[in-house]
Amino acid sequence: MIEFQDVTVYYPKSNEPALSHINLTFQQGEFVCVLGPSGAGKSTMIRTVNALQPVTAGNIFIDGQDLDNWTSLEKRQWRSRTGMIFQHFHLIPRLSVEQNVLTGLFGYKHPMAAFAGVFSQSEKKKARSILQQVGLGEMAERRVEWLSGGQKQRVGVARALMQEPDVFLGDEPVASLDPGTAQSIFALLKDVHVRNDLTTIINVHDVALARSFATRIVGLSHGKVIFDGKPDELTESGLEHIYGTVLQA
Amino acid sequence: MSWFRKRVWLYAVLLGLFTWWSMGKTEFEVSSFQEFSNAYSFIHDRFLPASWEILPTLIDPILVTLAVAFLGTFIALLIALPLSFAAAKNTAGNRLFYYFNRFFLSVLRSVPEIVFGLIFVVVLGLGPFPAVMAILLHNIGVLGKLISELIEAADAGPQEAMQSVGAGRRIGNLFSILPQIWPNVLSHYFYRFEVAIRTSLILGFIGGGGIGQKLFNDFNSFNYTAVTVEVLLIMLLVIIVDLFGAFVRKRVI
Repeated sequence: MIEFQDVTVYYPKSNEPALSHINLTFQQGEFVCVLGPSGAGKSTMIRTVNALQPVTAGNIFIDGQDLDNWTSLEKRQWRSRTGMIFQHFHLIPRLSVEQNVLTGLFGYKHPMAAFAGVFSQSEKKKARSILQQVGLGEMAERRVEWLSGGQKQRVGVARALMQEPDVFLGDEPVASLDPGTAQSIFALLKDVHVRNDLTTIINVHDVALARSFATRIVGLSHGKVIFDGKPDELTESGLEHIYGTVLQA
Repeated sequence: MSWFRKRVWLYAVLLGLFTWWSMGKTEFEVSSFQEFSNAYSFIHDRFLPASWEILPTLIDPILVTLAVAFLGTFIALLIALPLSFAAAKNTAGNRLFYYFNRFFLSVLRSVPEIVFGLIFVVVLGLGPFPAVMAILLHNIGVLGKLISELIEAADAGPQEAMQSVGAGRRIGNLFSILPQIWPNVLSHYFYRFEVAIRTSLILGFIGGGGIGQKLFNDFNSFNYTAVTVEVLLIMLLVIIVDLFGAFVRKRVI
């Protein structure tokens, strides 16, 4: 369980909070989509969950433990159990698909073993099996630069799965993809979510995708929670409330 | 109306003045250009025909020159690589550590190889070893700066991804940045290798061995036909290194 208690985040040299007094609880097994216009604080919220972004005030509790009290090693261990995918994939260029997937184990590996790229047969077998799962079984040896956007995001998902995560985070994972590919990536994420009984939190701009796949929608605007409920509870006026200024523009 | 802003005209005038001042300082005379025709007759009369019969005696000196340039730059690369991560703003970790490493690289870079060479010839004695040390130290500074700038310009996305999988900072930085910059690192390395061949000639003039020392001795003893062969051999070596660098870079990309 992930619990936000009165969380506020300010970026340096900014008078406007990126997140303002957020109180939210994410239960195990939830598939949450976070909606909101650009600059609403969606990415900041995602990054506070895996401690990539420190909070200015308030607390985040992971299974009852205050993230703020953890040492940097404990935060790293938490990140290694938190899979994250990104809008621009953030794959390592010039490495193969399989090598990129294996980097998902870096949180568990001894630095020297990671440096030398020493992976056991079982780890390599696992990477291949995950690649099969995400539909890239035939592309393990291919360099990631030569893949399409959708394939790259599948590698991102495979890398995150390699971590055997408890929590899956997505920072606008389909924003750079065409609608058909976005739909297939979301279907993959949902499949992975159900199979592995994950807690999934994904930022997304596409309201239709959020409505079809999420079990819960959170709407953010100006760093505040404007909506929190089931997809069918999100009305047109609720949407206008979240995206108000954008719709008027 | 002009495409150029007023400021551009001002820069052009300042540049013109600086060029005029530099010409005065260097006794740059356009009228002296006619003297260049003497260079042709000098080369034609004294440097030709080349003394090809000395070629076998040049094999060892040219290999020494190659070894000096390679060893100096290769060890410099091995030292500069980790150092450049410590001298890049996005990977140094600590601001003070970053400035210290930058300063250290600047100091190494600011001392020309010839100065290092003059010191090491006295300290270590004549021969190629002082030349290796001179090239090595200067190139740690040069490669360290160039690679640290590549690191700073690398895409930060993969770094964030490595952080998000829980990788340690050093391993995360290494894996996310090195594959991105590797072709440019090789490009810089081969360029410095090529420069080091030319530098090792100059170091040969002060007793650093190799074909430079041979060339200097032959020039001083007016043995210009031997100098021709030596210069052609040096040109060939530089071209081979350049082609080899291009080949390796192509394979890596």
